[in-house]
This record gives sequence, C-alpha cells and structure tokens, in this order.
Amino acid sequence: MDCNRMEHDGMRYIDGEMTPEQAIEFERHLADCRTCRRSIGELGRIDALAGRMRIRDPMDSFWEGYWKSIYRRGERRTAWILVIAGVIATALFGLVEIGRNFGPVTFVKVSAAVLAAGLLLLLLSVVRERIHQKKTDRYRDIIR
Amino acid sequence: MAWKKGDARAFEEIVNMTMKNAYAIALGFVGNVEDARDLSQEAFMAAHRGRESFDTDRPFFPWFYRILRNRCLNFIRSRSSRGEISMDVLVEKECPRPQPDGVLMKKEDSEALWKALFGLSEEHREIIVLRSFHDLSYRELSEALDISEGTVMSRLFYARKALYDILRDRFERRCAEKDE
Repeated sequence: MDCNRMEHDGMRYIDGEMTPEQAIEFERHLADCRTCRRSIGELGRIDALAGRMRIRDPMDSFWEGYWKSIYRRGERRTAWILVIAGVIATALFGLVEIGRNFGPVTFVKVSAAVLAAGLLLLLLSVVRERIHQKKTDRYRDIIR
Repeated sequence: MAWKKGDARAFEEIVNMTMKNAYAIALGFVGNVEDARDLSQEAFMAAHRGRESFDTDRPFFPWFYRILRNRCLNFIRSRSSRGEISMDVLVEKECPRPQPDGVLMKKEDSEALWKALFGLSEEHREIIVLRSFHDLSYRELSEALDISEGTVMSRLFYARKALYDILRDRFERRCAEKDE
C-alpha cells in the first residue's frame, strides 16, 4: 500500500470516527486513490463481518456456580498458603534441631532433611524458570 | 465503596455485574470456554486482593481489565492452556450493522472468523475483539490498552489487514460466487 492515509483516516472512516466533513473529504480522496479504495473494500469487509458478531452468552447453568467458585478459590488459596507456611516452618525447625544436636540419625531427622532438600530444589527450580522467562518474555514490557 | 473495605456482599455484586464481560474478554484472549471461566474468576480474586490500589473515583472495569488482561497474557505465555479453541462461540448481535456487498453471513463464516482470530498475535486479536465484539470507541480502546488514539488506529489497521490476509480466500470465493 503506497498511500499512507489508510492507517489513520481509513480506520476512522470505517469506524465512523470522522465528522461528516472529514468523511466527505476522505471520500473525495477515495475517488482518486485506487490503493485506498481497494483497502477500504477489504478492511471494510473484515469490519462488517466481525462487527456484526459478539461472543455468545453461556447458558444460565454456567453462571450458577460462578460466584461460589470464586469464593472457593479464595478459601483454597488461603489454605495452600497456610499449608506451605507450615511445611516450611516444620522443615526449618527440623534443620535447626539437627544443627543444634546432631546425635544419632533418626527417622524425624531424615524426614526433615528430605523435606528441606525438596523445598530447596523447588525454590531453585522456580527461580531458574523465572529467570528464563524474564529473558525470553514477549510481554516483559507489560506492567503486571 | 463498601467493597474496598472488604465487604464480601459488595464484591459479589460487582462480580455479578461484570462477570459476563470478564468472561467474554478472557475468551477472546484464550479461545477456550473453561480456560476463560477460570481466568476470569482468578482475575476477580486478584482484584479483590488488590482492592486497596483501586481508585474509587474511577470506573471499576478499566482497572479490572488490566488485571484480567495480564492474567490472560501470563496464561498464554506459560503455555498451560488446554490447547483447544472452543467452537460455536460467536453469534450475531441483536442489531447487526448493514452488510456491504460481498459479505453474506453464514454459520461457517463466524466459525472461520473465530479460528482466524487465533492466527493473529494476541495484541491484534485483542483490539479486534474489543472494537468489533464489544464496540469500544477509540477513546475507550486508548484507555483500556493504555496507548494513544493514533496507536489504536495503527494497531486496528494492521490487525484488520492480518485478519483479511487469513480470510482472503474465503472473501474472494464469496465474491466469485456472487458474480456467478
């Protein structure tokens, strides 16, 4: 497309965002510019097709549990935070106890060490993934 | 605003008023009905948690839109979607615009349009969905997407062009049928 009027004026014309005077002036331009005429035809068809559609409303049953599900999500989130906090506290307590008094290897000490190792591994994995995402993120300019 | 003070009833009212729009917007991003429902619900939860940052002098939906949009983009980026595009999602508006020559509406056209939208970038799909399905004005688009009106026009131009390129064969075939 050689004519640069389509990008702004063409869109405003298609979308009815021009004053009547501006529309008349643009129509005069269209009469002389074959490139814009063709583009208006093509992009106008897209607008005509998409502009007459909307997303279907789901059935009422879809919405019945919607609010309750949001409420349940909130509960589960709180529950998970408590569980994770408890697990971390238990693992840290176990490690501190081992450090203070190593003594004989017991089932509780081994369990605490395994739990701490698992948590550490998870933490490292999440940090590594976040760093990788940050480097390759197409949307990194978006404020989240 | 009672919701900002943590009133669950007020939050429920806000959800009931905006959930249909939230779901439709999420569906425009991710294409799958179940994913769209989950993401819109998660966005409401995130909005509730972040309600302190909401300015009560401003409308709720543009603020919520940012949260929903970021949720959807994060979701697409994480590639954890169900990978299926739900079909039979589009319907004609109650008062559709008049059609120019060469565009006859058939069910398969709406299916083709929906599929074609998912051949676009998220940025292009988003602006087409907001403009065409939700009838947002340039000013509203500019506010929702946090871009200038000039950028709204440019983005719409390239989005429509890309969409036309995907649907070109269909349009040309339809014009040829009409000429016969």
